Amino acid sequence: MTGGTRRALLVARREWNQRVRSRAFRISTVLTMLVVVAIIVLPQILNNGSTPTRTVGVVGAQAPELPVFLREAGRATGITVQTRTFPNQAAARAALRSGDVDVLLIGQRALVWKAEPDDSLQAAVTGAVQALDRQNVIAQLGLSQDQARRLLEPPALTSSSLEPQTKERSARVAMATIGLILLFVAISIYGGILLVGIIEEKSSRVVEVLLSRLRPTELLVGKITGIGLVGLAQFGAAAVVAVVAISLSGNSDIPRAAPAAIAWIVVWFVLGYAFYSVMYGAAGSLVSRQEDAQAMTFPISAVLLVGYLLSFAALPNPDAPLAVIGSLVPFTAPMVMTVRIASGDVPWWQIALSVLLMVGTIAVMIRVAGRVYAGGVLRFGRRVRLSEAWRGAGT
Amino acid sequence: MLEVDDLTKRYGDVVALDGATFTVADGRIVGFLGPNGAGKTTTMRAILGLVHPDRGQIRWQGAPVGAVERAHFGYMPEERGLYPKMKVREQLVYFAELSGLSTDRAKEASDLWLSEVGLEDRATARVEELSHGNQQRVQLGAALVHEPGLVVLDEPFSGLDPLGVASMSELLGRTAAAGVAVLFSSHQLDLVEDVCQDVVIIDHGRIVLAGVVEDLKAAAPMRVLQVEVDGQPWTPVLPDGAVAGGRDDQGRTLVDASVDLDTILASAHRAGAVTSLRYEPPSLADLFLAAVSKERVT
Repeated sequence: MTGGTRRALLVARREWNQRVRSRAFRISTVLTMLVVVAIIVLPQILNNGSTPTRTVGVVGAQAPELPVFLREAGRATGITVQTRTFPNQAAARAALRSGDVDVLLIGQRALVWKAEPDDSLQAAVTGAVQALDRQNVIAQLGLSQDQARRLLEPPALTSSSLEPQTKERSARVAMATIGLILLFVAISIYGGILLVGIIEEKSSRVVEVLLSRLRPTELLVGKITGIGLVGLAQFGAAAVVAVVAISLSGNSDIPRAAPAAIAWIVVWFVLGYAFYSVMYGAAGSLVSRQEDAQAMTFPISAVLLVGYLLSFAALPNPDAPLAVIGSLVPFTAPMVMTVRIASGDVPWWQIALSVLLMVGTIAVMIRVAGRVYAGGVLRFGRRVRLSEAWRGAGT
Repeated sequence: MLEVDDLTKRYGDVVALDGATFTVADGRIVGFLGPNGAGKTTTMRAILGLVHPDRGQIRWQGAPVGAVERAHFGYMPEERGLYPKMKVREQLVYFAELSGLSTDRAKEASDLWLSEVGLEDRATARVEELSHGNQQRVQLGAALVHEPGLVVLDEPFSGLDPLGVASMSELLGRTAAAGVAVLFSSHQLDLVEDVCQDVVIIDHGRIVLAGVVEDLKAAAPMRVLQVEVDGQPWTPVLPDGAVAGGRDDQGRTLVDASVDLDTILASAHRAGAVTSLRYEPPSLADLFLAAVSKERVT
């Protein structure tokens, strides 16, 4: 290990130790995990197992098989249907008004609701009544048992779709959206932490003591690595918790491809953070006070935001030309590619090309931003211009 | 020995250093003086590799200074220069490791220096919890923890109370006694006179005076004359060309070193009874002002 690598690792270790030990880190990690678990498990708990129960109030003439038919029709539409018989309409209406029953079936011909009709209950009751009627008609026609059965149980159709099924597809879109938001937030947060850290070193003049002992690039790379590892630990912990929660919950709404997509989100966090953090680092070296930081980071945040918005545009149509281009250009690739991978099938060569472009650009950016950092970080007081820092490096 | 040779640096149109040349010998405490903007901080930063000069060379023990030589340098910037939220001992260990010490040696050295600066009981305190004086001691510890051969201090006495000044001078004295070359800048000329053996005065990026303080005083072309007649400050009547500077509010007059003392005494006797007479080499402040104002005129 060269002296430079050792020094960069020492810097990274300090960043890690100082931040991981802080209470803010522990609290935010636990909170993130809780939120992730809640997103996955809560919907499951809210409508788990117990299918909703509905009560049909029956008034007037009714076939004795009606309750059985209602129960059967209800099961087909996913609700448990109970039946309650009322002697007269007045009593039935009172029960409907008080909410004891959900709908009134009058003389097997009319439905009365308290307010809004419930579509699935209406379908169940309608289906039950129609089935009863059909049975009566068949009995009157005097058909054989076989003929009657064929009439009542027409052959079931098999079904398949060309596009991914809507349920699977909407789950993927939801996952892509959550992943995108997490990625955007994480890159902004950890880029911001790096920026603040660099300005702190500048304003406390520690940077002078440090740079009398190591080179600017060693310091910058060390800081990016240390803070990046903290971010990765926090982000990775959330991802692992998400995968575990998904597999334990057995939530069928979550697509089978979820763990792979989550792994990709982590990869894109690493690449996206590396890319944006070197820019945040260079920006931080140009100012001496936190108050000036806002103006410096605006262009970076704006670029990040473009990627974020482009990703939302790519959500409904992940293979559109704009989405493909966006997923290859390094500025927007982390977010757009995350969305494309989560919501569709991306050819492997596009992913490989995107990662290669990203890694190559990061290597170039470290040199460029490293030079700006070296030129800016020892100039105190007013804001340093980018061109000044560029020329000032190495002089 | 540190040799600064013909150091030149411009920032755009501003000439920060203009051929600055001086040396700092091992085991000597060298005071680095100059008006604001004279080039002190730029020089110190150049020595530590924080600024790259346009021209000139810096040598340590005869070799041009690079990363290897700088590992033997310690630096204490003007105030702060520490992580406020980091614990004292951790901070020293970190700086020692960055200077190339192994983790074990860094810990040993940190404990040693904590007791050396008298802060062993504050090892686990955060720097921000310490008083200004104690922070300054931690800074000094950070500058010395890797046992450098040269230590550069920018205004080490600023903001210290008299006790802090005393303990800082004592520490610098012990450091130099151990063979370390010490270069420090200061505006407090009386303090510099007490603490350092050698002095380097810079103005407009040029070294205008450098050497051993006592030698410079002895070799100065002027003397301080202070006469009281009948208990009152008396302004001497001087032969033409003997006046080297005006009389200050304490009645001190700078006179040419070649002035005939007998003539002055005689004229003092004529004015009354001489109750007090001082005739001595100039103070460092006198040397400083003379060197800097000469520079200003030319």
